[in-house]
Amino acid sequence: MTAAAVSGRRAGAAGRPVPWTRLGWVTWRQHRAALGGAIALLAVIAAYLAYLGREIHRAYAAYYACAPASLRGVPLGGLLMNPFSSCGRYERAFMSFYGTGQGPVGASGINAQTVPFLLLAVPVLVGAFVGAPALARELESGTFRFAWTQGAGRVRQAAARLVPLAVVLTGAAYGLSALFSWYIGPFVRAGVTGTFPMQLFGTMGTDFAAWTLFSFALSAFAGVLLRRTVGAIAASLLVLTVADVATLMALRQHYLTPVAVTGGAPAGLGNWVVGNWFTSTSGGPADQNASAAIVRHLPPGAPASQVVADLASHHYLQWWTYQPASRWWDFQLIESGWLLAASLLLLAASVLLVRRRPA
Amino acid sequence: MDVIEAAALGKRYGRKKWGLRDCTLSVPAGCVTGLVGPNGSGKTTLLSLAVGMIRPTAGTVRVAGEAAGSRAARELTAFVAQDAPLYRNLPVRDMLRVARNLNARWDHGRAVSRLDGLGIALKQRVGALSGGQQAQLALTIALARRPELLVLDEPLAALDPLARADFMRSVRAAVAEDQISAVFSTHVIAELEQVADHLIVLGRGAVLLSGTTAGLAAAHGEASPEQVILSALRENARDHARDHAQGAAR
Repeated sequence: MTAAAVSGRRAGAAGRPVPWTRLGWVTWRQHRAALGGAIALLAVIAAYLAYLGREIHRAYAAYYACAPASLRGVPLGGLLMNPFSSCGRYERAFMSFYGTGQGPVGASGINAQTVPFLLLAVPVLVGAFVGAPALARELESGTFRFAWTQGAGRVRQAAARLVPLAVVLTGAAYGLSALFSWYIGPFVRAGVTGTFPMQLFGTMGTDFAAWTLFSFALSAFAGVLLRRTVGAIAASLLVLTVADVATLMALRQHYLTPVAVTGGAPAGLGNWVVGNWFTSTSGGPADQNASAAIVRHLPPGAPASQVVADLASHHYLQWWTYQPASRWWDFQLIESGWLLAASLLLLAASVLLVRRRPA
Repeated sequence: MDVIEAAALGKRYGRKKWGLRDCTLSVPAGCVTGLVGPNGSGKTTLLSLAVGMIRPTAGTVRVAGEAAGSRAARELTAFVAQDAPLYRNLPVRDMLRVARNLNARWDHGRAVSRLDGLGIALKQRVGALSGGQQAQLALTIALARRPELLVLDEPLAALDPLARADFMRSVRAAVAEDQISAVFSTHVIAELEQVADHLIVLGRGAVLLSGTTAGLAAAHGEASPEQVILSALRENARDHARDHAQGAAR
């Protein structure tokens, strides 16, 4: 071997690293089937939402045009219009999409009330089935011994695989949740529902996209840790369920200090009531036995308002704590924020694990 | 000039088990070197350290003058792992594209003409190729990277005798043509004269013998390098048994 030949080769070797776009192509080639499946699933759901959303918007427009001006913008929920009035049929047609009336959509069981619950499964499934194999398949099939010894190092390869997949999935999930927000919009505007209930909080705003990203990152990390796709899917489903339930039951209501009021319940469908208790004359928590004695004379099944009035006459005060509807976006951003941070940590940990423990 | 230089190299797995311990050796450039030893002698560990797949617990290893595991070393070294792992679900054409996109240096024309010569169609799925063809494809990809060093881990283990002979002939031809170096590990010591210019015999993570294939036999007064290797390994095993017995007696 001549010195010139060596130095010529060395010049090539010391050149630029493999460009990210080329690594991106490899990611695309390896994952186009999984991505195609995920995007197809989202596209079917999107087509359904787009079609029914149009119908819902039409039905709402018809009802809105018919309703007297005095009723426009008044929450529909408690003030159902006289079903025998001329506008009643428009209202019934509109509400049938919500599953509270007759009609094919209401009777099918898949309607605006149940669709958000079904959508909640999407981040979990998409994240697990694209995220878990992203690196685990390479590790369990032994092809990492090919991939990690190519010119492009394994750290760059792992990053070039996780980042584009995460971006595409998160973007697609955001698009789907934007479409869902449009679909459910008429019911929110008509005052049928608030948006703090978990099935709507989790499918609107940025929350849906954030949980999708978290699910993907968690599954990818589990894949590197366990080196098995199936094991990673199972483990990430378990951890994700725990994280989801813990968020719903214990975490979300504490993002901001709730507002406390006494007297009547906080008016407004969009508010989220998180606490409700009585205080006694001394200002401390009410004594259960004493308060029970006061209302003993009431017949069973007496209206709650009468119970509260009786207690109030004995200086027992009813307290409510709630998260006002105006905080909804704050709550969305807080939850998306910590999910994003956790996802970035998991993705970084996955790449680090590939670097430290390739075999 | 040496293409692999290991100094006091050690790799420990877990707390106690050493895959390779205090290994100092050099692999000469410009020829085919066979790394011989029984199972568990540290061959795969040594090669994994050389290609930068794992990091040493102790000591250093350099390949083609670069620190193993560095980008420069990675780009100068092509590795064919045991059983030639490739993406079995891809057509050969896409397997080549994947490899091309994972390397800064890539000689596509060479890969395609080499596969053409071997009669491997680009549209075939990798998983549908025979074991010998998969090994040849892995070698083709390794050579298309235009490496200075070709590292092969147990390339012969999974091949039938005919494919074995074809494969090693391809390696020797490439080494001669490109003026590169090759090192392969094997626990099969038959036919070594035909395939290796230089031999390094490993026993329990240490170098027992090192020299040219022809020179080893001559220097030890044996008829063939196989005899030399066998007696070295036997002696090593005896030493090990004695150390073990002494340790137990103490």
